[in-house]
Amino acid sequence: MRPLSPGVRLGALALTCIVIVLIALITSGANPAQVLTTLLTDSFRSPTAFADTLKRFCPYMILGVAVFWALRAGLFNIGVEGQFLMGGMTGTVVALQAGGMGGVLLGAAAGMVAGAAWALPAAWIRAYRGGHEVISTIMLNMIAFQLSNHLVSGPIMDPDAGFPTTRTLGPQDMLSGVPVGQITVNWALVIAFGLVMGFGWWLRKTVAGYELSVVGANPTAGSFAGIDVKRTTFAALLASGALAGFGGGLQAVAFEGRFYMGFSTGYGFDALGVAILAGGNPIGIIPSAFAYGLLQQGALAVQTLHVPPGIATLILSLLVVLFSAIRYGKVRHSNG
Amino acid sequence: MVDMSFITNWLMFAAILGLAALGGMFSERSGIVNIALEGMMLMSACVTALVGGTSGSPMIGLIAGLVSACLLGIAHWALTQFYRLDQIVSGMGINLFAYGATNFIALSFFKPEVPNQFLPIPVYFWCALIALAASWFMFNRMRAGLRLLAIGENPDKARTTGIEPVQVRLWALVFAGILCGLSGALVVTNSGGFGDNLTAGRGFIALAALILGGWRPVSVAVACLAFAAFEAAQIQFQGSPILGYQLPAAFWKSLPFLITLIALAGLMGRTKAPAGLGKM
Repeated sequence: MRPLSPGVRLGALALTCIVIVLIALITSGANPAQVLTTLLTDSFRSPTAFADTLKRFCPYMILGVAVFWALRAGLFNIGVEGQFLMGGMTGTVVALQAGGMGGVLLGAAAGMVAGAAWALPAAWIRAYRGGHEVISTIMLNMIAFQLSNHLVSGPIMDPDAGFPTTRTLGPQDMLSGVPVGQITVNWALVIAFGLVMGFGWWLRKTVAGYELSVVGANPTAGSFAGIDVKRTTFAALLASGALAGFGGGLQAVAFEGRFYMGFSTGYGFDALGVAILAGGNPIGIIPSAFAYGLLQQGALAVQTLHVPPGIATLILSLLVVLFSAIRYGKVRHSNG
Repeated sequence: MVDMSFITNWLMFAAILGLAALGGMFSERSGIVNIALEGMMLMSACVTALVGGTSGSPMIGLIAGLVSACLLGIAHWALTQFYRLDQIVSGMGINLFAYGATNFIALSFFKPEVPNQFLPIPVYFWCALIALAASWFMFNRMRAGLRLLAIGENPDKARTTGIEPVQVRLWALVFAGILCGLSGALVVTNSGGFGDNLTAGRGFIALAALILGGWRPVSVAVACLAFAAFEAAQIQFQGSPILGYQLPAAFWKSLPFLITLIALAGLMGRTKAPAGLGKM
C-alpha cells in the first residue's frame, strides 16, 4: 500500500469527523446551523449564562494546568477527576467547619493537600516502583468516586436535605468577586489566570521547569545531565494532584458552596482535552479552557432544541483526536 | 448464606469482566495500550439495545452492537498506527466519543413504546468460555497467536522475521472489539435497557483484571472471577453485617481497584507487562 501524504491523511480524518457531526446534527431533526450557533453562542445570551460559563472556565483552567504540568514530564495524569473530587469534598468540609475568610483559605489549602494525597500513591508507584501512572490514576479515580459518593450520602450529608449533599456555605463564608458590568468576576478566576501565567513563566524561566521538560522529552539524557529523574517524576505528579485538588477546593469555596453527588461534571476528564488542545504552550490553556466552557454551556442549551447534550462531548472528542493527529503529524514531519 | 442468586450474579459479572478483559488482552499483547474497553462496551450496549428493539431481532441487534464496537476498535488502530496518536489520548478520545455518542443516540432514537429484545443470557456465558479457551489455544498453540505475542514483545524483531505488526494489530483490535462488544451486550441484556453510562466503569475493572492477571488468559480469567465475587458479595451482603461490622457497598466496589493498586506497586510479586506495550 502506497503511503498517503500527511495532507491527504489529515484531510481524510477531518472529513470523517465532519461527516460524523453532520450525520448527528441531521438525524437529530433540528436545524444544524441553529444547533451549532446555540452550542457556540449560548454563553453570551444572558449574564446568567455567561456567569455559568465562567464557573466552568475556572476549573478548566486550573485542571488544565494540572494535566499540562504532568504531561510536560511525560506523564498522563488521568486522575485529575478523582483529585478534583477529593479536593472539593475536603475543601467543603474544612470551610464549613472554619467559616469566614479563614475558612475560604483553609478550604482551598485543604483541597490542595487532599489532591496531593490522592496523587501520592500514583506518584510513588510511577517513580519508585515502575507501575504505569495511567492505570494507577484510573484506579484512584474509581476509588474516589466510591469514597466521595459514600461519604456525601452518609457521614457528611446534610441531614435536612433529601439529596446527597453537604450543608451549604453562607455568602460570607465564600470567595467573592468584583462586579464587571452585569456579571461578577469571582476572585477565583483571577487566581486561575495567575496560575496559568505563573506556570508558563515557571516552565520557561526556572531550572526546575526546564528539568521537568527535559525529563518529559528524554529521561535518559536528563539523568546523564545530572537530573534526578525519579524525584522530578514524583514531584510532577504530586504537584499535578495538588493543583487539581486546589481546583476542587476553590470550586467549592468560590462557586458551589457545597459538595454534592455530581459536584464534578467530568471536569477532570475534560481537562485532559483542555491540555491537549492547548498545544505546546501553557498560555494556550486559556483559550482551550474557554472553548470547553463555551461548548459545555451550549450543550445544556441545545436541549431546548431537542438535541441531546451528548453532542458537545461528541464534538469535543473529535476535536481532541483531530488536533492531536495534526500535532503528531507536524512533529513527525519536522523530524523528517 | 451463599444462595443461587449469589452464584448467578457472580457468573454474570465474571462473564462481563472476562469478555472485556480478554478483548483488552488481544489489544495489549499486540502492543496497543487500550483504555478504550469501556467505550467499546458502552457503544455496543447502546447499539445492541437500539437495533435489537427496532429491528425486532435480537440477533441482528447483537451483530450491530459488535460491529459498532469493532468500528471503535478499528478507529483506535487507525489513530495509533497511521496517525501516530498517543495510545492513551486515542483511548481517552474513544471513551469520550462513546459517552457522547451513546447519550445522543439513546435520547434521539430510543422509543419507549418499542420493547427491548435480547438474546438469552447463557449465550454470553458460552461465548465467554469459548473466548477463554480459544485465546489460550491461540496464544499457546497457534501460529497467529504466537505472532501476536512476538509483536507485543518486540515489534522490530518481529518485523525482521517478516511479520507486519500493523496488519496483525488490526486483527487484534477487531477481536478486542468483538469481545468488548459481547461484554457490553451482556451488560445491557442483564439490565434490560440502556441508560447513560450504563457500563459504569466496568471496562476499567476489566483493565485492572487484565493487569492483575499479567496479560495471560487463565490468570486474567481468575482475576475476573475474583473481582466478580466482590461485586456479587456487595449485593449479597448489602445491609447485613459481617463479623459484627457493616461494610459499606463502596468498600466492596473499591476492592478491585485497591487490589490492583497494591499489585501495581509490586507488593504482590511482579507481573510482567508485554515488553513492546506502547511501541510502534
